[in-house]
Amino acid sequence: MGSQGRRCSDRLCCFSLSMNENTIPRGRRRMFHKEVKEEEFSYANTNCLSSYYSVFVARLAIMVMLAILIGMLTVLTWHFTKSYTTKSINTLAYGLRYELLQRPILRMWNILNSTVEITQAQVKLSEFVIRQYDSPVMQAAHLECYEVMRNVTWALFASRRALNAITIRYKNGVVQAFHRDHRSNYTFYIYSELVNSSVLSDQGWGQQHHNSAVWYRESLDPITGETRGNPKPIPPDDLINIAGISEVPDGAASWHVKVSKFTDSPSLSAALPVKDSPNGSIVAVVGVTTALYSVGQLMKELVEFHSGYMYLTTQEGYVIATSTNAPLLRNLSSGPKLMAAVDSEDRIIRLGAKWLEKACGNHSSLKHETHAENVRLGHQKYYIDSFFLNLKRLPLVGVIIIPRKYVMGKVDQRALTTLVILISASICILIIGCVCILILTSGVSKEMKLRAELISHLDARRRAEASSNYKSQFLANMSHELRTPMAAVIGLLDILICDDCLSNEQYATVTQIRKCSTALLRLLNNILDISKVSIFGKFKSGKRRCFLKVESGKLVLEKAEFDLGRELEGLVDMFSVQCINHNVEIVLDLSDDMPKLVLGDSARVVQIFANLISNSLKFTSSGHIILRGWCERFNTTTYSEKLPLDQKDSQSLPRTKSKQQENNSKRTLKKENKIIIWFEVEDTGCGIDPSKWEAVFESFEQADPSTTRTHGGTGLGLCIVRTLVNKMGGEIKVVEKDGPGTLMQLSLVFNTPGDGAGQNEEKEFTKHSLMVALSADLVLLALNGRMSRSIMSQWLRKGGVCTREVSEWNELTQILQDVFPESKSGVEIETNGVLRNEVLYSQNLVTSNFVIIVDIGLLDLSTSIWKEQLKFLDKYHGKAKFAWVLNHDTCNAVKMELRKNGHLLMVNKPLYKAKLVQILDAVVKERNLVLQRKGVNASRTSTVERDLHESLEIDPFHYDAVSSDDSDASDGRSLHLNGSAVVGERRMKNSATRCNGLNNGLVELSRTVGLTGKSLNPENQYRKTAVNNGNLLHHSDGGKISALSESRCGSSVISQHQRVNNDLMDPNHIDTNRLVSRQKSLEGLCILLAEDTPVLQRVATIMLEKMGAMVVVVGDGQQAVEALKCPLDAECRKRALYPEDGEVMSHMQIQEFPAFHLILMDCQMPRMDGYEATKAIRKLEEGTGFHIPIVALTAHAMSSDEAKCLEVGMDAYLTKPIDCKLMMSTILSLTKGVV
Amino acid sequence: MNVEQLKSRFKGHYDFMVAEKFLDEQFSQLQQLQDESTPDFAFEVVSLFFEDCQKIFHDLDRALEQPMVDFKTVDNNVHTLKGSSSSIGAARVTHVCIAFRSFCDEHNLEGCLRSMQELKRETALVKNQFEILFKLEQQLLAAGGSITLPVKPSPQSNDHPWFM
Repeated sequence: MGSQGRRCSDRLCCFSLSMNENTIPRGRRRMFHKEVKEEEFSYANTNCLSSYYSVFVARLAIMVMLAILIGMLTVLTWHFTKSYTTKSINTLAYGLRYELLQRPILRMWNILNSTVEITQAQVKLSEFVIRQYDSPVMQAAHLECYEVMRNVTWALFASRRALNAITIRYKNGVVQAFHRDHRSNYTFYIYSELVNSSVLSDQGWGQQHHNSAVWYRESLDPITGETRGNPKPIPPDDLINIAGISEVPDGAASWHVKVSKFTDSPSLSAALPVKDSPNGSIVAVVGVTTALYSVGQLMKELVEFHSGYMYLTTQEGYVIATSTNAPLLRNLSSGPKLMAAVDSEDRIIRLGAKWLEKACGNHSSLKHETHAENVRLGHQKYYIDSFFLNLKRLPLVGVIIIPRKYVMGKVDQRALTTLVILISASICILIIGCVCILILTSGVSKEMKLRAELISHLDARRRAEASSNYKSQFLANMSHELRTPMAAVIGLLDILICDDCLSNEQYATVTQIRKCSTALLRLLNNILDISKVSIFGKFKSGKRRCFLKVESGKLVLEKAEFDLGRELEGLVDMFSVQCINHNVEIVLDLSDDMPKLVLGDSARVVQIFANLISNSLKFTSSGHIILRGWCERFNTTTYSEKLPLDQKDSQSLPRTKSKQQENNSKRTLKKENKIIIWFEVEDTGCGIDPSKWEAVFESFEQADPSTTRTHGGTGLGLCIVRTLVNKMGGEIKVVEKDGPGTLMQLSLVFNTPGDGAGQNEEKEFTKHSLMVALSADLVLLALNGRMSRSIMSQWLRKGGVCTREVSEWNELTQILQDVFPESKSGVEIETNGVLRNEVLYSQNLVTSNFVIIVDIGLLDLSTSIWKEQLKFLDKYHGKAKFAWVLNHDTCNAVKMELRKNGHLLMVNKPLYKAKLVQILDAVVKERNLVLQRKGVNASRTSTVERDLHESLEIDPFHYDAVSSDDSDASDGRSLHLNGSAVVGERRMKNSATRCNGLNNGLVELSRTVGLTGKSLNPENQYRKTAVNNGNLLHHSDGGKISALSESRCGSSVISQHQRVNNDLMDPNHIDTNRLVSRQKSLEGLCILLAEDTPVLQRVATIMLEKMGAMVVVVGDGQQAVEALKCPLDAECRKRALYPEDGEVMSHMQIQEFPAFHLILMDCQMPRMDGYEATKAIRKLEEGTGFHIPIVALTAHAMSSDEAKCLEVGMDAYLTKPIDCKLMMSTILSLTKGVV
Repeated sequence: MNVEQLKSRFKGHYDFMVAEKFLDEQFSQLQQLQDESTPDFAFEVVSLFFEDCQKIFHDLDRALEQPMVDFKTVDNNVHTLKGSSSSIGAARVTHVCIAFRSFCDEHNLEGCLRSMQELKRETALVKNQFEILFKLEQQLLAAGGSITLPVKPSPQSNDHPWFM
């Protein structure tokens, strides 16, 4: 039991422990999460099993406990109810039994006593009588004595009715006796007649006995004692036992239980001697006999009332009296004898006696009283008690046998019923309890099962979350890890570029590396972006579209100014090497009406085209890849003006017009300076089956699955492209194409920054001025690539420049000889450089210009023939201007040779318009220089020219070096170079006069006439021009000159922060320049800065103030809203604003409504955060029609935050740390309508 | 010490700080904003930052001592600190803040406490460095030199915003 209990409690302990394990220590476990991940998994499984097991055990244990409890209760109840009653009843019963038995014994005692008394009395009387008549000689005296004795005895006998008999036997043998028969109610007097007269002689009692005596019996009246009949002689001692002298030999009284044949019950007889004198001899013996019948009677009465059995035995075991009617005597042949109790006819008495005998062993032990309970006699249980009555002569034993039923019957019955009821009740309770436990625990186990499941689910979810966290973390780390070294590489390259002692080749190489590194960095960023992106298909209006979904929100496009043309040129440059290796010609054909600067995400645009071009390149083994771009303008005001130009420009692109008509519906958008730019990427590869035109844009799709093997790739490229294009508001599709290959057409929607009209004109001008300058010239395009050649020549022709195309060396020589028939004489003249120059100049004066652009590929570089070819070309050096188009792998020896021969104009492949313009620019400029110099100083020419050449030679590399952000460097330069033209001079004056009247900013125009390149003071080259809206007034002015000034002004507006710096080497210049240009950029703006961190408050304030803006700082969103409320409220408009906290107010001016042009809003602030504040502000604005731009400032770096910012109504998003430039451009783009 | 020596020492220390990532290009932007009208701008802002730090650390300590740590409060504080530190260009502090916030997201108290220690250490370190830098700067200015902005056109800011 004990061990079982312990086991039970052990189990319970385990159970509760396991429960605790399940529920509580989640937090603790989390810490070990990483280490025990695996174990945990298996643990989850075993967890369930163990919990089932423990539930089972718990159930069992509770049931057992309940059973034990109820059992104990039952037993205890039963025990207490029974044992106490039993004990008390037993005590009572013992008393009862004792009492019961005592009464017959007392009766017995009484009988004995009375018998003794009678006997004593008789003895005394007899003594007295006998002494009186003690005269032995006289017969008469004897007779008289007998007579007296008879009377005395009768008197005694009559007084005691219970006596059976009184006898007197005299010494001489005379007997006198009275006898009473209780049954027949007869009383007799029995006497004997003596034969001899010696009545009182001293003869021996024995000899005279019966000798001659004759016995007589007289019937007597029982009341009076009168004799009623005659005496009848009877045989002696027939009726009664006459006590003889033998019974009292020692003179003491003797007791006997006698049996007579006349009575059926035993009787008690006592005998005493009668002595003649004290201590004398015995003269007579008196005997008294009493029937024991009354004892039996009493017993019967008692038993009748109490039930049970009683009997009285002598010490020897003979029954004297009994409560039953069983006979006490048995008739033997020798006469009736007492019956022993063990032989009693009554069964119970017999059995009881036997049991007593067995229990006590022998007779002697009967002297001990026994009290036995629950003695089984027959079929019943009895109490048996025996009492020993120790009389000297007659010890008696009384036995009472009472059936248990009589005493304990009710109790036993009650106990039994109680037990039955208890047991049945406890069984019922047990069953109900078990059922309850089952139900309860089943609930608990269900709950536990659910809980375990829940916990495992939570675990799984947490694991999943953790793994996705790790993924994000990993990506973030990776991006950092990858970008950092790249940034270092680029930085080092920048340093290297700044180094003065690089040779031109080295410089070019480093620049190329720089460019590639940038591209690689960009690529890395893209890869990382895309890897963050999960792509999924979605059915929308029956058309399957791809979506890019950034893990933490939407893909958000940047909106920054960039030079689209420059980006694409850089891209083409980047791919050119690859293309040349593939033997594919890559051509960039951008129409002239393309805006110079657009607002958009340059990285994504480049990504689009990089994908498309690499895709084309992948499938094109020979031929060309053309990237075309043209513009479709939204702006209705300029639309009609532009149309003819467009038509003129895009002769090769008739689609434009139809597109324009198509897009009439989109006119609503056109108010906002939006433009659609169309692009085409054409290749001559294997092409795409028309049925797959749509499918290629889906994820993991390639037109032909087998291409994966040959070309690799994931099939994601085009999907990403399409997503990005859609995101930019355009569309992409594959269109029909003549001939083999693929033609992809896509449109992108860009915003044009600021005054969108300006740049185009500028470009137009560049072109036109060039065209004008070259109108008399002949440009010979000696290029390998058919497509680029034809496109270039078309473009030039369109501009009014005569062009001729050649595709091979022989053709070139042919044309040269045709054009310069007098070349022979020229060759002879050329003996030294100076002379040659002289000749050149003289010739320049005479002949029209002849520009030859030669592809290095025309020369036979594999053998040494190219030197001959160069020599041949040298002949024409003075007559024509040579420009070389080099391959990326053109070896240094060739370049050296070219340089030696005075070919200083070199560009790298591929040749596109910008490069062509550059070449032509250089040519024109040189010519102008010559023209100018002609009249000035001829002696200086050679050195100056040398310088000029130097700079021109470097130009292309500089040109390459600039990235999109400092794109205007070369732009400025080209303008600057243009300035040397006569036309340019006029333009300067014009614009200066016009602008001065209108501009409130600083307009500083460089005086560049006659001074170029490094000889210029760099300071003069800056144009810090802040142009106000008034410039637009010029817009309608026709004519070249006004268009010029306009374009210049326009470009200045847009490129406020650009470096107009030819000299990249000096970073200080750049910075000062940047600062200077920045200083004025936010002039007149009033900005509300809501920021709680003092550091950021200060930084941002200073930044903005440096840029010329006025800043009001508030500490939280609440104040920001308050600050805005006032000006929004018309009544408060005139009041100066003072924020409650008395925050810093730099220059608060009462302004025209609205007071603030822009809000910079930190997202996380006390009291009211940026999101809430923005919502509040937007709510305030509802109905007023105003929309104050709000720029979010946040340290969150995720694009999801940006999405959130934009969602609550913010207009833009800046991350901390604040990038000055980015902030400025953002602010400008949002406030351009105001300034 | 003449101006040149001071200048080179100043530049050397600045380079050291950049190399050890105590600073990033953001600080150079601050330096650029400093001119005649606001001569002590960088110093002022950095001082502001450290004052702010004290307050935030105090708040953070208190928040982390609570029996039930309110991770949102902690996160907000760290976020603020991240913004400030990145604004003065204390890159290492910013970095710790980022880690700290990720711990906050996980409700990882142990990590938070560890980050807290790290944050204090880094802040103390960068504070020392700044003190040296400003001392050098003052010496330099006292000697009559001017602070040449040791700024390279940082390539990364040219190409891509780093925190996009």
